[in-house]
Amino acid sequence: MSEVLSVLLYGLVQAAVLLLVALGFSVTFGLSGIPNFAHGGVYILSGFVCWYLLRKLGWPHLLAAAGGVAVAAVVGVLLYWLVIRPVRRLVLAEVIATFAAGVAMLELFRWMGLVTYEFNLPPVVAGSVTLGELAVDAHRLAVVAAAAGLGLLLWWFGRATRTGLALRAMAQEEYTALSLGIREDFMATVSVALGSALAAVAAVLVLPLGLISINLGYDAMLVALALTVVGGTERTAGLVLAALLLGVATVVASVVLGPHWSEVIYLAAIVAVLAVRPSGILGRLKELEERV
Amino acid sequence: MLRGRVLWVLASVALALGVWSPGARTAPVEPVVLGVPTALGSIEGADSLRAVQLAAEEINAKGGVRVGAVRRPLQVVSIDTREHEPGIPIHDALAALEKLLTERRPHAVVVGAFRSEVLLAAMDVVARYRVPYVVTIAMTPAFEARIASDPAKYRYLFRMGLQSEYFAGNLARVLGYVKSRHGVSRIQFVHQDVLWAKATVGFLETWARQAGWTVVSSDAYPTGATDFSASVLRARTGRTQILVPVFDMPQSGVLLKQVKGAQLPVAVVGFISPAVPATAWQAFEGAVDGMVQFVAEPGPLAVRALPKSVHFNRAYGQKYGEEMRMKLSGHGPGPSYDAVYVVAAAIERAGTLDPDRVAEEIRKTDMEGVIGRIRFNDKHQVVYGGLPQETAISLAFQWRAPGRRVVVFPELAAEDEIRLPAGLGR
Repeated sequence: MSEVLSVLLYGLVQAAVLLLVALGFSVTFGLSGIPNFAHGGVYILSGFVCWYLLRKLGWPHLLAAAGGVAVAAVVGVLLYWLVIRPVRRLVLAEVIATFAAGVAMLELFRWMGLVTYEFNLPPVVAGSVTLGELAVDAHRLAVVAAAAGLGLLLWWFGRATRTGLALRAMAQEEYTALSLGIREDFMATVSVALGSALAAVAAVLVLPLGLISINLGYDAMLVALALTVVGGTERTAGLVLAALLLGVATVVASVVLGPHWSEVIYLAAIVAVLAVRPSGILGRLKELEERV
Repeated sequence: MLRGRVLWVLASVALALGVWSPGARTAPVEPVVLGVPTALGSIEGADSLRAVQLAAEEINAKGGVRVGAVRRPLQVVSIDTREHEPGIPIHDALAALEKLLTERRPHAVVVGAFRSEVLLAAMDVVARYRVPYVVTIAMTPAFEARIASDPAKYRYLFRMGLQSEYFAGNLARVLGYVKSRHGVSRIQFVHQDVLWAKATVGFLETWARQAGWTVVSSDAYPTGATDFSASVLRARTGRTQILVPVFDMPQSGVLLKQVKGAQLPVAVVGFISPAVPATAWQAFEGAVDGMVQFVAEPGPLAVRALPKSVHFNRAYGQKYGEEMRMKLSGHGPGPSYDAVYVVAAAIERAGTLDPDRVAEEIRKTDMEGVIGRIRFNDKHQVVYGGLPQETAISLAFQWRAPGRRVVVFPELAAEDEIRLPAGLGR
């Protein structure tokens, strides 16, 4: 029994990690239709910024984290105006341009030699918590709480604020939104900056579980893509459900079959969902398109 | 008349200067070029290159290497093969090696391949270019088997770093001691999914079963992995007592943080490359506490029984700073430093840079180094054992609060006994 509980608890933690890592990408894509494949680069960049402010400049942890989030938001704005806007509405070009920007960032860090074990962030909450027979570090539980909180906050943002509604309008029907006075560039800038800031929040919360490793930038892209495809782009609930399914599945697979299998789960999930239900588990876009 | 005399004197002085000036008569001395093709982005690769540069600088400060009648300075040239990075194919690393061999034409190569897969593939390249090659990082035992299969073809290749069977053998001795002393019996292996680590764990698993251990599991992780939760869960459900990690990637230190976070009642005995440097205690926030850490070769800490290791640490600290010395990794720097001296001595004994004669002299090496006594076996591997006066040695130390590294193996160099966490075993 305790073995099942252990797997479920670590599966829940893994789901929270996946959700946090994917939120930024999904929010940008869901709210403005921009596929920001530089997400992994921004994720690692903000980790390094936080590390620098914390370890080198001696800033307090919270302030360094806020600094990382602020820098990521600014990078998001620059990404939109310098990389995305020149190729706006050319979907394939948007994918290629943002992917190239992300790879350039990550490989620049590698070239700079930022690859040692020293690049790590401290946990937000230190110590361990014992749940029955099972001990788990408190930071992992904080990650679960933060993921749940952020998910709820974004759900509220998309439905209860003017900016959120305007962003969703842009994503659903761009020309109608423009005719209602919604400013396209402003909204797109906000969505990319918001997505980048969320990538930084994920970095501050998730990277303390391991190292600031450049390869995690590529992993973040894979995770974000898998969750967005599996959950669908329109509803936060879809993303949460996808995170739970993939989180538990990867933990079960790595315990039962071996650690290598966790990567396979993401790729298999993408292929399976695209083949069976292209809109994602809770998505309806493809269905609507087909009906129209 | 006066003008004629002045001209005559000036001409004489100019002639005399021309005849006697050493600079005008002596051709510039060509350096002896040492190539370092390795994964310079890895901790081990970068530290090894610095160790090579230190040794070359020391030799140059004494006048360089005597080649026949001429003393020639050592020049170190390097290239980054990036072979430690996930996704870099073997042929990319080989292309980097060939680029170095063809463009910089080194007289010998030191450090060499980082990955065993690359080493095995590079052996034919080295044989084709006929350049003495002393590898110090890649650990696969298949290297010796390959040399035994065709000694003439592979006569230029030597290894000074630890071979994984020696590593596994020493680790088995420590594990056997822990078992008999503390009565533990449940063991779990966690390793990187690369050739040398798989070979090491393969040997250890077989040994453990024969020695009466219950092997809980053997978990392989791809290079670059940062989540070891699966092994933590298996350790809990399988009631693991001794966890044996075998990794040479920077991310592997995270395993220790995860073990500590989960409050697993286990002792960690193995090799996690980022847990070797003196800075690891701080970097991993004390999660290394109690770990028995293997050091493939002496180098990252000064050991009284090895006077050259004391000199190496002092000189390294002076050249690169104390902070860099404290970050020295546990595999590569010691033998890389020694390799320069081995090659330089071989060239001096050969009296020429002819690769066949230099290789022959390397084979005959018998000298004291940072790693102990350096002698090659008939398969061109430096012999490792437990007596520093007789062989090269590997070490194990235990991390103790507040960040001390206490040598616990081999017996002749040990400063204290291994201590297990309270409540573990008898």
